[in-house]
Amino acid sequence: MFAYLIRRLFFVIFVVWGVTFATFFISQVVPADPALAALGDNAREDQIKEFRQRNGLDKPAYVQYAVYMGKLLRGNLGQSLRTSRPVADDLREFFPATVELSLAAFLIAILIGVPFGIVAALTQNRLPDVTVRILALLGGATPVFFLGILLLQVFHGQLGWFPGPGRLDPYSISPPRVTGFMTLDTLLAHDFRTFVDSLYHLILPAVVLGSASAALLARMTRGAMLEVLSQDYIRTARAKGAASSRVIRRHAAKNAALPILTVLGGLLGSLLSGAVLTETIFSWPGIGRYVTTSASSLDFPAVMGVTLLAGLTYALINLAVDLLYAYIDPRIKYG
Amino acid sequence: MKLIKALGMVAALSAGLAIAQDRTSTLIYGGDWTDLITADPQVSYEFTGGLVADNLYETLVKFEGTDLSTLKPSLAEKWNVQNTAQGWLVTFNLRKGSKFSTGREVTAKDVVYSFDRAIQIKGPSSFLFTDVANIKVGSTKALDNYTVQVTLPKTASPAAFLNLLTFNIGGIVDSEEVKSHEQSGDFGKAWLTDHSAGSGPFMLNRWDRNAQVVLTANPNARLQPKLKQVILRYLPESQAQRVALESGEIDIAENLTPEMLKAFSSNPKFKVYKSDNLRLRYIGMNSKEGSPFANPKVREAVRYAINQDEIISGLLLGNATKIQTIIPKGLFGYNPAMYYSYDPARAKKLLAEAGVPNGFEFELLTATASCDFVPCGDLAAKIQADLAKVGLKANIKQIQNSEVLKAYRAQQAQMVLVAWSPDFPDPDGNATPMSDYNAKSLAYRNVWNNPTAAKLAQQAALETNPTKRGALYKLLTELVLKDGPYDILYQPAQNTTFSTKVEGYVRNGQNQVRFENISKQP
Repeated sequence: MFAYLIRRLFFVIFVVWGVTFATFFISQVVPADPALAALGDNAREDQIKEFRQRNGLDKPAYVQYAVYMGKLLRGNLGQSLRTSRPVADDLREFFPATVELSLAAFLIAILIGVPFGIVAALTQNRLPDVTVRILALLGGATPVFFLGILLLQVFHGQLGWFPGPGRLDPYSISPPRVTGFMTLDTLLAHDFRTFVDSLYHLILPAVVLGSASAALLARMTRGAMLEVLSQDYIRTARAKGAASSRVIRRHAAKNAALPILTVLGGLLGSLLSGAVLTETIFSWPGIGRYVTTSASSLDFPAVMGVTLLAGLTYALINLAVDLLYAYIDPRIKYG
Repeated sequence: MKLIKALGMVAALSAGLAIAQDRTSTLIYGGDWTDLITADPQVSYEFTGGLVADNLYETLVKFEGTDLSTLKPSLAEKWNVQNTAQGWLVTFNLRKGSKFSTGREVTAKDVVYSFDRAIQIKGPSSFLFTDVANIKVGSTKALDNYTVQVTLPKTASPAAFLNLLTFNIGGIVDSEEVKSHEQSGDFGKAWLTDHSAGSGPFMLNRWDRNAQVVLTANPNARLQPKLKQVILRYLPESQAQRVALESGEIDIAENLTPEMLKAFSSNPKFKVYKSDNLRLRYIGMNSKEGSPFANPKVREAVRYAINQDEIISGLLLGNATKIQTIIPKGLFGYNPAMYYSYDPARAKKLLAEAGVPNGFEFELLTATASCDFVPCGDLAAKIQADLAKVGLKANIKQIQNSEVLKAYRAQQAQMVLVAWSPDFPDPDGNATPMSDYNAKSLAYRNVWNNPTAAKLAQQAALETNPTKRGALYKLLTELVLKDGPYDILYQPAQNTTFSTKVEGYVRNGQNQVRFENISKQP
């Protein structure tokens, strides 16, 4: 087990290195000049030259990469070309908001997707199943952008049930920043009202971000459950006279959990790196917004920082999922 | 669902109680503020940075309302310009008793520090001091606590210098406070990025990047604002701005689309405020020997061939001002005359006179971004269609904006569709770049070398008599219009939409909004 873990951690490092390499060289072949993007139309020639020198853009690509990797090994992600701020500071500022939103979306996806999938499997081809399948189709096919604006318009604009974009009411006073998670920071500040407000602000964007995942999860759960329910051991269990609920909980659900777990890991990873549109519509200050702005202004160190973080998160989640397999299914052993 | 509703009620009630009393003294301004990089007046060169810094810092002189041609006193109550053998001597008499948010009095040494800082910090707008005003560290001197003198060389325009002082780079910082926050010779740049030390009506309370910028009233300010707090709330998506404005979550929306503006203008609860941006959207034509646009008659034909009115009313839904000369509306020297009208027959005749009766094929370069309110590709397609009617075949090439600039700056573009904003609110901000080849700016990029135009631009820049200066600009704008490498398409409008509860919102052509004049009704 320990040897396996070490091997996998090496693999994570390799993946992350691959990400830096690919991103860096893509940024080199893109026909675009970060100096002009940062300084704009009115910049003088000497300003552009000075900018290139200061940011090492005047050196050949392989030297720039070596410098970047050298800094990276010392834990330095470099400086944003656009804001001149250390990229690490930016990531620390924006990543918690994305994690908070993604976890909420993840939770919503599980709370909706799994039960709906189970119900659908148990009522195969009857009304509940058909309804779930249609909803799952809609949920999976509705573009996030459209859904976001629609929900905002209806539930905030027309009905007034939910607050507008942002993490807090515009008139409320934000808590001092400790963790960057608004829900935690409000609690740490003993500000219960603002805590409730922050939870309330989390719901709509989390539903929007989680809807496609919920749909996928419902379909996956339904499929996995149907597969398991047709197995011999389920028939045997039923034949033994086990109660239906017991068969589903003890025999079916546990065996259907493995494929679902695989999907969950992938989902969390994609939620963390795929919140760009939701963050834009709901004015959520996360890394999705950050990377969009950075990419459009050719701020390569910032883009590198985000891809690195996303790659690392993905690899670690996958590792965690694999370790969970062994926990859930005693037949799986790593060595 | 019940739980959600209950939660919602609790949140709404509790939030409502806590903030009810603050609603009329807090202004929530929603917009895409993503361009904000710093609130440092000597570093910021972007729109939002300027918007923030203008309200945190005072300048020596300023413009009031929408007028960008009459300088008004601000920290300086008087000033004068003398023409001496050493150059222009510009003397400012500071008002006594102006205070920074720190409580210290604004004195001449703060002005010297701020001006020297603008030069030494080598920020994106430092060239305004070093290249336009041509001043160095040491050019600004404190004669006593309340008198400052700046020496400009003969070659610099004192009018342009005074005008550029209204820009945020001329904001006066509390030198003692900033010095106490210097880190390894950065002139306090890191600290001033998200702190303030000015005498403006507001102070920077907090900046949660990509979420909000909170400005609170400066208790020591000479100009006391009507509001206690202004919050710039980041709402990058215009649909979200629309919904938030309708629901009352924000009071002002910065970036609505022309269709939304149309809907809001007919809604009595809202007001759409139009101001003139100083930007000009134009076509640049490469006049290099051998280029199809080398002949002035061809360039003139292009101007007759493009239908400005259709672009403004059809594509932009009226959100632009028609203009044909190089100095935008809002600046001194603006020439509102319309010298040519849409006339494809005349364009064809001119092309025949130029020896290309059957037209020719060329590349029209533009950015993949948005051109004011429409995608640049749409605007380019309209131009392509108009030009095709007179036999000119434009092949549109859309690339990343920085690549358009790269080709353009290297004189490599045949025809470009781009925009220009003056660096400072003075006609010279357009006249020299667009007329003087040696300024290595727009005239250079289009390979248009006209010594008469260059000379007129220089003369006009240095002229201190307004009547004479105005006459020179009329001559220059007419010359560039007739012979120059540009077809000016329009000047985009700047629209801001707000609830009718908001009073006193005024925005000038350089996008300055003075929050101290704004109030909010219950």
